[in-house]
Amino acid sequence: MPTVILLDVSLSMSRPLPNSDSTETHTRFTLATAAINTFLDYLCVHAKLEYVALVTFSSLCEVSVPFTREFDNIRVKLPTLEEGDKTCIETALHGVNQLVLNEWGYQTAVQIILITDGSCGVGSIGRNRIIKALPLPPTYPGKIHVLPIASPHDTSLQHAMPLYQKIVDLASNSVNNTNVTISRGSIYCPDQLNVPGVIAAMTRLCEQHYQEFWCTLKCGQLETRVQLFPAPQPASQDCLGATYTLSNQLHVIGFLTQQDLGTPIAISKHLVIPQAQVGSNAPHRENYDPKTPTKESSSSEGTSTDDDMSDPSKVPNFCVLLHGALKVEGMSAIVQLGVDWWGTLSAWCEVSRARRSCLLLSVMRPSASAAPWLGPLDQLGPSEDNSTSTETFPVRSWRSYSGGSGYAWARPHTLLADVQKVLRHARKLPDKTQHLYKELNRLRRAAISLGFSELLTCVSTALERECTTLPPTAPPECALQLAHAAAALRDPRTALDVKHSLQPLDANFTVTSMSH
Amino acid sequence: MFPTNHKTVFVLDHTPYFGISSENPIDFDVAKSRGPGYVPLPAVCKSLWTCSVEAAVEYCRIVWDLFPEGKLVRFVVSDFAAHILNTWAISQQNFTHLLNGLCLVGPVRRGAGGDVVGLCAAIEALGEPTGVQAARPPDSLFQNRGRILCITSARDDDSIRSLIDIAVNTLVQQNQKASEPQPTPVDGNNTQTLAIHYCHLIVINVTPEKTDSRVTNQPLTEMAGGLMGVEVIVCRASLLAGLLGRLVLPHYRLAITTVTGIPMKEEQNATSSANYDVEIIHSAEAHAGLRAAQTAAEATESVVLRWWTPRGAEGGAGGCHGPLWRVTPADAASRPSACLVNFLLNGRSVTLELPSKKGGGRSASHVLAAQGGELWIGALGGRSPHDDPPALSEGAGGRVTDYRIKEFGALMHQNKLYPGRGAGANTRARARLQRHTTYWPLTISSTLIFNMGSVMEPLTRLVVQESLTDEEVEQCRAVLMSLLAMEARHDLPAPHLPAAARGKSSGRREEQWRQVWSEAEALVRAHAVTPAHRALLRALQVTRTHNNGDGDSRATVIKATTDSPLSPVSGGSDVWAPRSALDALLGAPRPHRRPDFAGRMAAGNRPATLYSHLQNDEQH
Repeated sequence: MPTVILLDVSLSMSRPLPNSDSTETHTRFTLATAAINTFLDYLCVHAKLEYVALVTFSSLCEVSVPFTREFDNIRVKLPTLEEGDKTCIETALHGVNQLVLNEWGYQTAVQIILITDGSCGVGSIGRNRIIKALPLPPTYPGKIHVLPIASPHDTSLQHAMPLYQKIVDLASNSVNNTNVTISRGSIYCPDQLNVPGVIAAMTRLCEQHYQEFWCTLKCGQLETRVQLFPAPQPASQDCLGATYTLSNQLHVIGFLTQQDLGTPIAISKHLVIPQAQVGSNAPHRENYDPKTPTKESSSSEGTSTDDDMSDPSKVPNFCVLLHGALKVEGMSAIVQLGVDWWGTLSAWCEVSRARRSCLLLSVMRPSASAAPWLGPLDQLGPSEDNSTSTETFPVRSWRSYSGGSGYAWARPHTLLADVQKVLRHARKLPDKTQHLYKELNRLRRAAISLGFSELLTCVSTALERECTTLPPTAPPECALQLAHAAAALRDPRTALDVKHSLQPLDANFTVTSMSH
Repeated sequence: MFPTNHKTVFVLDHTPYFGISSENPIDFDVAKSRGPGYVPLPAVCKSLWTCSVEAAVEYCRIVWDLFPEGKLVRFVVSDFAAHILNTWAISQQNFTHLLNGLCLVGPVRRGAGGDVVGLCAAIEALGEPTGVQAARPPDSLFQNRGRILCITSARDDDSIRSLIDIAVNTLVQQNQKASEPQPTPVDGNNTQTLAIHYCHLIVINVTPEKTDSRVTNQPLTEMAGGLMGVEVIVCRASLLAGLLGRLVLPHYRLAITTVTGIPMKEEQNATSSANYDVEIIHSAEAHAGLRAAQTAAEATESVVLRWWTPRGAEGGAGGCHGPLWRVTPADAASRPSACLVNFLLNGRSVTLELPSKKGGGRSASHVLAAQGGELWIGALGGRSPHDDPPALSEGAGGRVTDYRIKEFGALMHQNKLYPGRGAGANTRARARLQRHTTYWPLTISSTLIFNMGSVMEPLTRLVVQESLTDEEVEQCRAVLMSLLAMEARHDLPAPHLPAAARGKSSGRREEQWRQVWSEAEALVRAHAVTPAHRALLRALQVTRTHNNGDGDSRATVIKATTDSPLSPVSGGSDVWAPRSALDALLGAPRPHRRPDFAGRMAAGNRPATLYSHLQNDEQH
């Protein structure tokens, strides 16, 4: 999840700490700086791929550092920030919304860390006005954490707490409610107003919300440890109210061609980053241990050096092999993520960076029907010679627009079109006799189900009229068929019986017409 | 947890009043006049019943098109009795079932009856658990909510009020009954009546075109302590379909997109094309990004997106980072809709863009595509948090250049998945993968047997099978035999090894052969679960022990096997006599072996003594 550090640079932030007895004089701003550095230090170790932006605000809101993975840019920028006038939170949130929507759109979840001085700068009426004016919930999914740089007993903090709580609550009620549940943000108050207190609060935040996600990718006996980035969020199913959390073992169950797979409906996508095998002391080739076939090394006896072993990029990793094979073959792997939950693994490369390719996990909605064109996902299985099932991809579903409609007569033009079709066939007898009766039966069936007997009478009248306007050259069969069809539509015994179907008049009269 | 739109019940009034005409004539003589003497057709009016059925069916079409599961609709037809057309069962949630039921109901007949029985039956239906609800453990708490759309016609507000009162009373009574202890289900399926926690009742009062109604609209009011929300809507029969078409949007959080400027060729005028608009319905979530700049009023209108004529092959829905939503045309039967639907169902996809802004720039916003015979929309735009990934070549295993990619590709093809393989198919697929990867070196340089090409191929291919026939075991033995022969000829096991790999494993030939044998054994041992596999392993071990035991003369194995003092008298009649490795491979396969008498195995070539342990016992 990209992160916005929303830093208060109002004048009140530069107040010195009340009881700074040490030689160093700290202001609330320097404490905020310490907190941000702690945060960036944590990311360097645990989430190097996170994008972070620094936005400062007072009565104006300014993007100091746009989204970047170069955390040093932020560190360098911090001491150069200029102080502003007063704290104006709703302006700040407007600015953040704009920044996020421009950069990430509304489908990417974003975390916002609001670092302020624990005073909203207005009285209770003003505070309530701010609460009403908050541009929340945002149109993108996300959460806001608040880190007030204030002593926990500060009265102005007590006063501002309802505002902070409201911000945290509102931020999670995103209108864009997808299947992913995003845990709420929180308020992290430092225990004491000093550097260790602030750092402790920030560390708590990091540990709760910036955990990296590790798991084992298994393909039969081959396995490797991987990191998923961004860390997957628990998913939920609105009907069942159950939440699904990704298990720490992802099992490949088999493979599909990209073409068969289509575009899976992903609720989230994650990079799969291989990690060095811990303690991969590869056994020598003579003693292959069949139980650990993956823990082998490219090094062979004689050329094996310590250098080879210590460089993880030279130790074969299943993840790299899988990526290469998926890419070459144009295939994807189906992965079981948990009970009733599946995902797909594909080689993916950005259009703009065609050469840099990586392994991407698409997490599907938890349900066996998450990709309907693959059939029920729990029934994906290997081909077996004795299998009777001959189903192939894609498994097609029938929808109203798939064809064979004729029930949508709510709009008059469709009804007209269907009636005109019947009359067109009626004018082209005897060639279209079969078509005429087919259409008539279709029309009848629809009319019966809608209780629309008036239509049948009308069509019957129309057919009789066609009969009277037949040109004199028309074969007598035409008149006979039209009269027969018109009568059948009015027959009180059969016209409204759906099981009955109209049949063309038996065609032996052609002989009589010839003998004339 | 279960939203109100999980369960919807339509109550259709089938009383004699609904047989009257809607007084909205449809003229079939739209075509140009066909000369004098042409008798015009009388215009046709639908009955109120036809209007309400087709409107309800259209509502249902949209729901079932967009939510094939999880959103259930039931129909109750009410005259002198309540005719329940379908249940919550998935098998009855489709058009065919519904229309068959409607056919059986037939047109309105004379006779008494009213809408009340149907309404009561509908409330009862809401109390019945759906499949998903029944599947939940009985002690779990969930909200059972639902919606009733009652299409009827009342004289005045008072009749409507008494109808609603009856509904509220029925609901309260039924909840009372549901709260009483019920007999525990026998079959473990939780089919007992559920309490209804909320019921959204919409009474739609239908009138013919020219009749004045003394019923007035009533906005949503909560009744019975929030148990029931009641709405009354008055509607002309001819506008009923439009009304339900609008109601379905908020009920299921749907939105309409107008795809504008779709070029279509005319049959008459094939050289030029005219532009058409098509309205499509889908989840409102698909508009989330567009809504950012919209007011609440605009949000209820359709969003207009422009057709971006595809240039060549489009990427399909692949460019969407987020989810896809199902789409259905608002007017399924219209020609432009059918045209767009066919375009998509034929496998093409199209990008939609925001109507051009002042800046003149184009911004793609959505993609329409079909998958598996269904239409989908996905939103484009925005970066993804996983962009600019770290290069795999810098990560773990990234510098290794000799992965067995081609072989893994073959393995993937052998482990392709197919749909509809029945229960437990996933488990079978995983078991198969497990077998295929039991012994699977990742790199070319870490293996010799997989680099030996056709010599080794039958063995590596066959051994991963779940079971081996005798014939296949023989094929594998033949492989071992040819290996022996190769070794005897002083051949290198894998002369075609790529230079890089050969450089690493350029050990002595003997060492290479030792590796080949140990790899082969590891491979076969890893699969030794069936008797046939174990037989193969034994054959391999016999070969190996002989090979290794012979020390210096390993290379001259043929000579050794024939000249060894340990080798038995050749051509002996004893089929069970110990055989050399080569004999074991060359000779006729032995009959299925019974475990040999232990005494004989101990005695070797000497006569075996019976009951030898008796002597031992005496000594102790």
